[in-house]
Amino acid sequence: MSKKLLFLLAACMLSVLFLAACGGSEDEGSDAAESDSGNAAEESGAIEVSHAMGTTTIEEKPERVVSLYQGATDTVLAFDVTPVGVVESWVELPMYDYIKDDLQDVTYVGQETQPNLEEIAALEPDVIFASQIRHEEIYEQLSEIAPTIVNETIYDFKETTNLIGQALGEEEKAENLLDEWDGRIADFQEKIGSDENWPMSAAVLNYRPDHARIYVTGFAGSILQELGFEEPIELQGQNEEIVMLNDKEAIPQMNADVFFQFMEETPDVQKNFEEWTAHPLYQNLEAVQNDNVYTVDEVSWNMAGGLQAANEMLDDIYEYFEVEQ
Amino acid sequence: MKYWTLRLFNDRISIQVSMRWLLTVAGWLAVVGGVFLLSLSAGSNWIPLSEVFKQLTGQIDQHTFVVETLRLPRALLALLVGAALGVAGLILQSLVRNPLASPDIIGITSGASLGAVTFISFGAGVISMQYLPLAAILGGLLAALLIYLISWNKGVTPIRLVLIGVGLSAIMKACVTFMLVMSETATTTKSYIWLTGSIYGASWSDVTSMIWWLLIPIPFLIVFGRGLNVTEIGEDFSVSVGIRVQLQQFIFLMCSVMLAGTAAAFAGGIEFVGLMAPHIARRMVHRSFPGLAVVTALVGAFLVIIADLVARTLFLPLDIPAGVFTAAIGAPFFLYLLFRYRNQ
Repeated sequence: MSKKLLFLLAACMLSVLFLAACGGSEDEGSDAAESDSGNAAEESGAIEVSHAMGTTTIEEKPERVVSLYQGATDTVLAFDVTPVGVVESWVELPMYDYIKDDLQDVTYVGQETQPNLEEIAALEPDVIFASQIRHEEIYEQLSEIAPTIVNETIYDFKETTNLIGQALGEEEKAENLLDEWDGRIADFQEKIGSDENWPMSAAVLNYRPDHARIYVTGFAGSILQELGFEEPIELQGQNEEIVMLNDKEAIPQMNADVFFQFMEETPDVQKNFEEWTAHPLYQNLEAVQNDNVYTVDEVSWNMAGGLQAANEMLDDIYEYFEVEQ
Repeated sequence: MKYWTLRLFNDRISIQVSMRWLLTVAGWLAVVGGVFLLSLSAGSNWIPLSEVFKQLTGQIDQHTFVVETLRLPRALLALLVGAALGVAGLILQSLVRNPLASPDIIGITSGASLGAVTFISFGAGVISMQYLPLAAILGGLLAALLIYLISWNKGVTPIRLVLIGVGLSAIMKACVTFMLVMSETATTTKSYIWLTGSIYGASWSDVTSMIWWLLIPIPFLIVFGRGLNVTEIGEDFSVSVGIRVQLQQFIFLMCSVMLAGTAAAFAGGIEFVGLMAPHIARRMVHRSFPGLAVVTALVGAFLVIIADLVARTLFLPLDIPAGVFTAAIGAPFFLYLLFRYRNQ
């Protein structure tokens, strides 16, 4: 039996090595391609954007924009540009209520996870905004349709803003939007600083039918950290991204001064939520004892992921802590 | 029933052909060809067949992107994936003499899934996604080797192979679930789509590399195919007519893994085809392996291409993973066949 095990171990390690080697050589290849396309673009004076999957040249200021992830749809609108095509939202189909009115004539090109390439091609866009985590496999095809700008994640709204600004030739506007954001962050920090309880720890909680989650980083988590909120007390310094709580014994992990919670309004989620919050361990948590539990909008806090949503989330936080804007 | 027997290379290769087989193959070729053409025409906008022909022969070029970059490779990949899955299932069913055997059940697909989900969970954003097929094939291969090694006890008996395969498959599925629960939401979504199985985003490079992978097992199948007929009768009988049962078993297992693993690599965990296609084929032609393999490949190709066609056109503009429909289309057809042949 031990011989078998040894053989298996060797086989596993070999395959890992092989994969690692493949990964390495791939990077070199794309670097070389990047520098080539860079030189060509400088001469013609076209817009050139370097992004998660290379450098893309856009011949002239684009007018027809297609957005393939929620954060880009939200943020393109913040530039006062109406996209010609977007992917469906996750809830409130086909588009989130807060931007539905701005997108009355838009064409829906399918779902974020599997957008319809034929529909996108039919729109004849000038630029496409995509996300590496969702669209890496179809990048080649997308690039054949139009210059495609790729953000690494789907929730990094600042990177989304920068990329859209560059691609639309509106870098100044992007800078203004982000300066405005930084200004609001600084304003909140200054005003909350006088609160005797500051700094506070915060936990973003999400209840599911069969478990609960703590979002430590991600969209909401990164904004809370930027505002100066600390990570949940038990999770500080652990570099967790999302913590899944599969058992109520794990409730103490949630502990923080403030809870921001969101969940779907379905009976099974509600039932699970009631069970968790009725648990004796839950009653001991700081936020519960100090009555600092806020139910927030799932769309702006988690699903939208754009600059406008971030600002809406910030509005909520101003309101909860009764800070004047 | 009339047969013609084709013998090549000093009787090393022999293929038996009957009128019924020829008619069945011709029928399936017509059906598959028809669906293939339909899937070049159908999509977000309907392109008439006449225009598709003109586009393919270079007389017009306004549909280059839609027909040649999107629809053609996607249709071809669907055919290849379906054929590979069908034949992989046929081999396993003949090998273990159990009609319930299929790559999804004895753990090859779960191995490929585990490889792919591990790759997506840890490799997304770090390693280029173009190596995802490799991870899936390696996963399937390692799973098969593991099953084979554990089943080995001075030789492998088919029943032990199936039992161990089912057990290991359960363990690997548990690992996949664990990985899904522990990884980030965005990667989880990606993994789920992979597990459902989808031909979406097929490119020409997918088609060519799939063909290369498929070229490996095909010569083995041609050379050793006739032995499989004998194995179906029983192991003792095979030994008595001079077949090296263990060697042949190993070669066929590896061929099945190559086929199923490659299909999983390029289309994800499309299930049910490996089980369905051989059953349908057996209903229509006699048991000679090479002939059966051709019909099975056609049936498998039909199942996957029609599933993908429906998945990408029924709910426009939505493009849905084809795996959702393979079972939905395969099952009623299977029931119909059972009903049709109930008295035979």
